[in-house]
Amino acid sequence: MTEPARSRTPTGGWIERPSREQIVLGVLVLAGIVAFPLLNPGYRLLSLAVTTGFTAIALYGLALQFGQAGILSVGHAGIVGVGAYAAAIIATQFGAGFWLALPVSIAASAFAAALVGMPSLRVGGQHYIIITFCFSALLVIALTNGGTLTGSATGLDVGLIAPVFGINFALIKNAYALVSGFLVVCIVVTYVIVNSPYGRTLRAIRENEPLARAVGINSNRHKIGVFFLSGAFAGLAGILQTYYLRHISPPLYGAFPSLYLALMIMLGGARYLYGPLIGAIIVTFLPEVGHLDPIDARIAYGVALLAVILLLPGGVSGGVAELYRALVARWQRAPAAPASVSPPPSAG
Amino acid sequence: MAALEIIGIHKKFGGVVALAGVDITIETARITGVIGPNGSGKTTLFNVVAGAFPPTAGRVVWQGEDITGKRSYDIARRGVVRTYQQSMSYPALSVRDNVRIGCEHGRAPNLRTAARWQSADEILDFVGLGGLGDVTAGALSFGNLRRLGLAVALGAEPLLLLLDEPAAGLSDSEGAALTELILSFPQLGLGVCVIDHDMALMGAICEHLVVLNFGTKIAEGTPQDVLNDATVLDVYLGTGT
Repeated sequence: MTEPARSRTPTGGWIERPSREQIVLGVLVLAGIVAFPLLNPGYRLLSLAVTTGFTAIALYGLALQFGQAGILSVGHAGIVGVGAYAAAIIATQFGAGFWLALPVSIAASAFAAALVGMPSLRVGGQHYIIITFCFSALLVIALTNGGTLTGSATGLDVGLIAPVFGINFALIKNAYALVSGFLVVCIVVTYVIVNSPYGRTLRAIRENEPLARAVGINSNRHKIGVFFLSGAFAGLAGILQTYYLRHISPPLYGAFPSLYLALMIMLGGARYLYGPLIGAIIVTFLPEVGHLDPIDARIAYGVALLAVILLLPGGVSGGVAELYRALVARWQRAPAAPASVSPPPSAG
Repeated sequence: MAALEIIGIHKKFGGVVALAGVDITIETARITGVIGPNGSGKTTLFNVVAGAFPPTAGRVVWQGEDITGKRSYDIARRGVVRTYQQSMSYPALSVRDNVRIGCEHGRAPNLRTAARWQSADEILDFVGLGGLGDVTAGALSFGNLRRLGLAVALGAEPLLLLLDEPAAGLSDSEGAALTELILSFPQLGLGVCVIDHDMALMGAICEHLVVLNFGTKIAEGTPQDVLNDATVLDVYLGTGT
């Protein structure tokens, strides 16, 4: 019997086994998502939760390229817009509904993101940021001048999502179920990517690109790959937003929304699994909880961003994770105090 | 067997000539040293061989195949892996993950036979970092960081290792321990080429020495021959008359 050609698995399986903490946290988050509508939050809060859901989906894409590969985009809303408009255009031109448009939107955003990312291979990080910023600004101009195809400044309308098994997605609680279902899929996909060898490859590029190339990583190919993935998440977010709002217009995808997405990812923490979700929740619910008008909210976002950069470089999720580790370390040290040498940290 | 042939390599940066026609043959299963004062073109030579940038003229042939101007990752996948003098690791990742990244790339996609190493931890044990797998690479001491740099490169299953000043910045005892480690590489069937300007270190580990000065080869041979060569002494110590 011959050995399989690639029997090497440097430490066990292809994907890391989740730790006990990760499983507990996953169950808690899932329980929270399921329980939220059962608490009778009312239409206003449920609709904010739907907004949080599709925003978080877009952020999971941004987290892959920024948190894992280390490449920040400030044009992510533009990529979301490509998917959103792809769905709206094929709805108005060909009468295609949500389910037919879904793969089209995802593919359109993914290819757009890969295309926008190409120039970044030749230039350094800051240049890519400027390119993405210009992209979202240019997209708004193009959409505003797109005549009847894009609906110009007025934008486009879409119909309702066709019911599946008699579920009417016009009801807010069903819209919530749809968006949070996709959100859970995105979180699982992100977990798999981050904990696979591919996630490690992306982190190698983030940490030390020359060294990554010296051990055989084609960093350019993987960068385009992660832009593509990031764009796919953005496209999904775009079509969900389109069919939730039922009307889209160019300003939704301009420079300001893009900056908000970058703000949310830094606020929540790009390197932790629930960072994007936390960022989306904070920014979406902050004005509601704090009774802030839009101007005050912008000021609050600015202050929050400065505070996070200064105090929590890993975002809120990074800060919570650090706090948890510190507490565990203290709790473990207390009973083992008599031991002169602390045991090495065991795996798991 | 000649594994790597460097044939007539020229490299110019604008008007500056870094390499002016260098010919070196590196054989596997022994340690070759390239020595020369600062600015003699040692690192430029590595950069050309490992694919960081193409030469202005000349060829690099690896196992009979012309690899001149190929990308660095392509060259690594063929089994020629370099280390860096300064940035040796992925600082925010664990020591184990640093090595796993090497294991998952390098020659792995083309590797038909069983790998030399069964796990990243086995490599860490070999380089003397056993038990440090869970530590963040950025928290390692400089000496351990040098060892990690070697472990990352070993993970990529190289056939020829290019080491860029592997002992720079180490204390005498750390340097001696690392030297011992490097001396064991040929027994793994691994070709090694070291660049450094430390004559004593190079005399101790290399079986074959090449001396560069101002981008040209001025001497070549066994360490004893080279270190007694009049031209070499002149470059290193000055004429004294």
